[in-house]
Amino acid sequence: MVTMVEKKKRTARINGCVASAQAAKYADVDVITAYPIRPYTATMMALAQMVANGELDAEYIVADSEHSQLSIAHGASSSGARVFTGSSGVGVQFAYELYSPISGSRMPVQMMIADRTLDPPGDFGSEHTDALSTRDMGWLMGWSCDAQEAFDNHLLAYRIGEDRRVLLPQMVCQDGFFVSHITSDVDLPDPAQVKEFLPPYKHPYPLDPRHPVSHGPQIMPEQGPPLQLERARAMEGSVAVIEEAHDEFARIFGRRYDPWVEEFMTDGADVVFFMQGGHAVTARYAIKHMRDRGAKVGLVRLRTIRPYPTDRVKDTLSKFKVVGVVETNMGLGGVSSGGSLYAEVCAALYESQQRPLIVSFMAGMGGEAIVLKEFYWMTQKMIEAQKRGTIEKRTHWVGFEE
Amino acid sequence: MSTKGTHIPDWLTVPFAGITPAPSQDKGQDLFPTGNWRAIRPVYRDKLPPCNNACGTNEKIQGYLDLVKRGKYLDAYALIKEDMPFPSVTGRVCYHPCEQACNRGQYDEAISIRAVERFLGDLGQALPRDVVKAGPPNGRKVAVVGSGPAGHSAAYQLARLGYEVTILEKSPKAGGLNRGGIPDWVLPQHVLDREIERLIEIGVTIKTNTEVGKDVTWDDLKNNYDACVLAVGLIEPNSARAEGENKDGVLYGLPFLRDIGMGTSKVKLGPRVAVIGGGNTAIDCAREALRQGAEEVTMITVEANTAEMPAMSEDLHDMVEEGVELLHGRAMTAALGNGKVEALQLYPAHFAGAINASPITIDREAPAERFAVDNVIIAVGQRTSLGWLPNEFKTERGSIKIDQFGRLGATNFFAAGDVVQLGSGQPLMVVNAVGDGKRVAFNLDKVIRGEPLHPRTIPVDVIVDLNRMNMTYFPHFPRVKQSMLAPASRRSMQEEVIQAFSEEQAVEEAYRCFSCGTCNACDNCYLVCPEPCIVRSVRSNGLYKILVDYCKGCRVCIEECPTGCLEGVPELDFDTGVVRMDTAFAITPGLHGRQARELEELAERPAKDIDNWS
Repeated sequence: MVTMVEKKKRTARINGCVASAQAAKYADVDVITAYPIRPYTATMMALAQMVANGELDAEYIVADSEHSQLSIAHGASSSGARVFTGSSGVGVQFAYELYSPISGSRMPVQMMIADRTLDPPGDFGSEHTDALSTRDMGWLMGWSCDAQEAFDNHLLAYRIGEDRRVLLPQMVCQDGFFVSHITSDVDLPDPAQVKEFLPPYKHPYPLDPRHPVSHGPQIMPEQGPPLQLERARAMEGSVAVIEEAHDEFARIFGRRYDPWVEEFMTDGADVVFFMQGGHAVTARYAIKHMRDRGAKVGLVRLRTIRPYPTDRVKDTLSKFKVVGVVETNMGLGGVSSGGSLYAEVCAALYESQQRPLIVSFMAGMGGEAIVLKEFYWMTQKMIEAQKRGTIEKRTHWVGFEE
Repeated sequence: MSTKGTHIPDWLTVPFAGITPAPSQDKGQDLFPTGNWRAIRPVYRDKLPPCNNACGTNEKIQGYLDLVKRGKYLDAYALIKEDMPFPSVTGRVCYHPCEQACNRGQYDEAISIRAVERFLGDLGQALPRDVVKAGPPNGRKVAVVGSGPAGHSAAYQLARLGYEVTILEKSPKAGGLNRGGIPDWVLPQHVLDREIERLIEIGVTIKTNTEVGKDVTWDDLKNNYDACVLAVGLIEPNSARAEGENKDGVLYGLPFLRDIGMGTSKVKLGPRVAVIGGGNTAIDCAREALRQGAEEVTMITVEANTAEMPAMSEDLHDMVEEGVELLHGRAMTAALGNGKVEALQLYPAHFAGAINASPITIDREAPAERFAVDNVIIAVGQRTSLGWLPNEFKTERGSIKIDQFGRLGATNFFAAGDVVQLGSGQPLMVVNAVGDGKRVAFNLDKVIRGEPLHPRTIPVDVIVDLNRMNMTYFPHFPRVKQSMLAPASRRSMQEEVIQAFSEEQAVEEAYRCFSCGTCNACDNCYLVCPEPCIVRSVRSNGLYKILVDYCKGCRVCIEECPTGCLEGVPELDFDTGVVRMDTAFAITPGLHGRQARELEELAERPAKDIDNWS
């Protein structure tokens, strides 16, 4: 007998925050922990409605701070629950203590980030520094550029993070406002597809009174390195799992993403932008416009920064003459004295036989939009460097120079 | 891949993310010795439950209640038999100081310990063979004079120690006060008979109709036995010091009960009976009088009310329930009548000082009362005559002079029971006599074996009170009541008034025990330990172990121990098994462990080698 599966796909016009909430619903999360801060709050508002309406059967716990929020997430995950949480800006920072313990105890908590500029003083705008500052804490991390990708990345991240070969927490990031509050059409899948893609979560060693185990014990100094090594191995081991998950995603949902980098109009390009997140949507438009006018410019968008695809970045960027890194984050006093993405790019290219020129653009800071005019300006700077054969300077603060 | 080709050596391999199974399981927490954090170490230190302490013979009450709870009745019976030769008897007659001391009494109602003891005693009675065996014979002969509670107990313990014991009993039947002082409707004769059979089973010889001073002399005892326990009891009734006590119809309490018990009673009571006295014997006499056909029984006491009477309150209650009247604050000064008592002369009276421990003051200026009776039973205490005893061992109050170990001077004679306890302040009760007999038996054994005697002392702080326990874990439950015959039917028969517990009742009641100060394997420590470093190797009483290498001394188990058995002891009080900061790294075979071993070897090297050591 053949069971007829009625396809229940539909398209919804929703913003990034709601897309994330929908993804959590489709993933049938068990525990949601929330503490309000703009702009991610809209996700938790949507989830609260879903739980209240009975659309989603989950424990919804409002914490007294982000620190508690992540502590609850840690505990809930230890008990074997699929956990969804999130934050923005200084909220991400306040929970900082928990990031290493959660990944260290290998709990695949998922955290949605809608970026917000860190203080001072209060700034509602988007900037990647909040999440990016935690990039070395053992969490899988990547940025979406629109609501559909945000939705898809949440499902992908659960599948990857909960894989027995990985068991690591995930930060699924999107730009505040540029993605979180921009409405677009999102294809919502048939729940049966999600069920096929995302098996139920089962931690191998949950806290269970019937089978007592000890989590997070005190260790001897000599026992630290083996544990760190295991965590490093898990992060490395996730690479294969990420690729496998993206293949499966394409098979089941019909949308294929390159897990590491999206290349846009890079064929024959001499100069490319290298960036993460929502400003890539503007960049694509600007590139098309400039291509029409003969500029050999393209875009390489990093989709996953942890684990960092070092070889893939090297191989991709070595094809070009100039790489312009659009930072959207603060790396004060760092390698480029601007953002921190520049250092990651340089390091990946160090072993390349054909190193391109690399220049860092401080753009999209403080939640400012990167307007078309600025992409044209940055392209101009890259083409000049290509002609000159050398960069004018490592870091340009876009909008503050002629 | 930076981790490609890496290898973690076995001695540094850690479980997944440090997640480790409980230490009780394979490997457990071997790798995470956190014991060096500890300043306080939890220690299981069983204390003395107040019931055990209050018991005249220090029965291990908490222990046998716990075994009953687990359905291990035979083990429970064996445990009770260590201290008590006849639990079927005390399970019926005991004045149960244990229940008065029971901590549960301050919480809801005391445990019905006596009823559980009776349940076990009856179980023992039903066994084809007793669990108790005689000790390997040591070739020594001991005479025990008297087969009452103290003599029975001493003979029992001595037989268990391997002595050849002969009991010399004056009466035709063994049992002493157990037989002659306790009515059938409290203790049926067949129950006592069975216990005496048990005594014979372990090799004790009982010579009845053998009276010391008449059939056997002091010298006979001295010459024919290695040692002797004198447990002659108090068998002669005190006089009420009233005029006319020699009149017909004037009876004395203990002989009255004894003759009925022995089946030799020729007494026929008239319809109106007065009982003089306010103690337990007086109560038994009053209730027995009803059963012997008296229609109106009145108990006349010097005590001003029931609270002052030195009697068990439930017996008093049962007596009143059966219809005995009470007349307080009176002393009998004369038995009036022509040849036979017809009335009593009563005057108001009170104790001059402390109740029951001072002379009686009689107010002879008040008008005398005339109280019409057909019989009067005088039950105002007992004494004994010790004509056969060398004078040096007699006290002024008519008892045997002993040292604190029950020994008569430097002789191999010991004395136990009422005959030594008279006037000691200790109530003259069966269980106290049993305890006395037991202690004297052990002391006698030590003397025979040439070992020094030590007084028995219990530090007060080892007796647990409610403050040292965690009452959160004990829900309130009412005491299981023993059923009783209806008062109306009791008056006319010799049936046992108080009924036995069923098995279910005994178990239910045993479950109420707090197990004060003593581990009863409740598993609470095992469950609350957050590490967890409490292991349970065997699921029976008290078998937990604290893994001191891992215990951080968080005190959770101590706080949450319901019984107060777990104590926090400062780590500095220990000098063994301690993980301290300086040695903490040496207990795993890790890097620091190797260093520590090298350092240990260093200390053993000759000095010049150390100079060259690199």
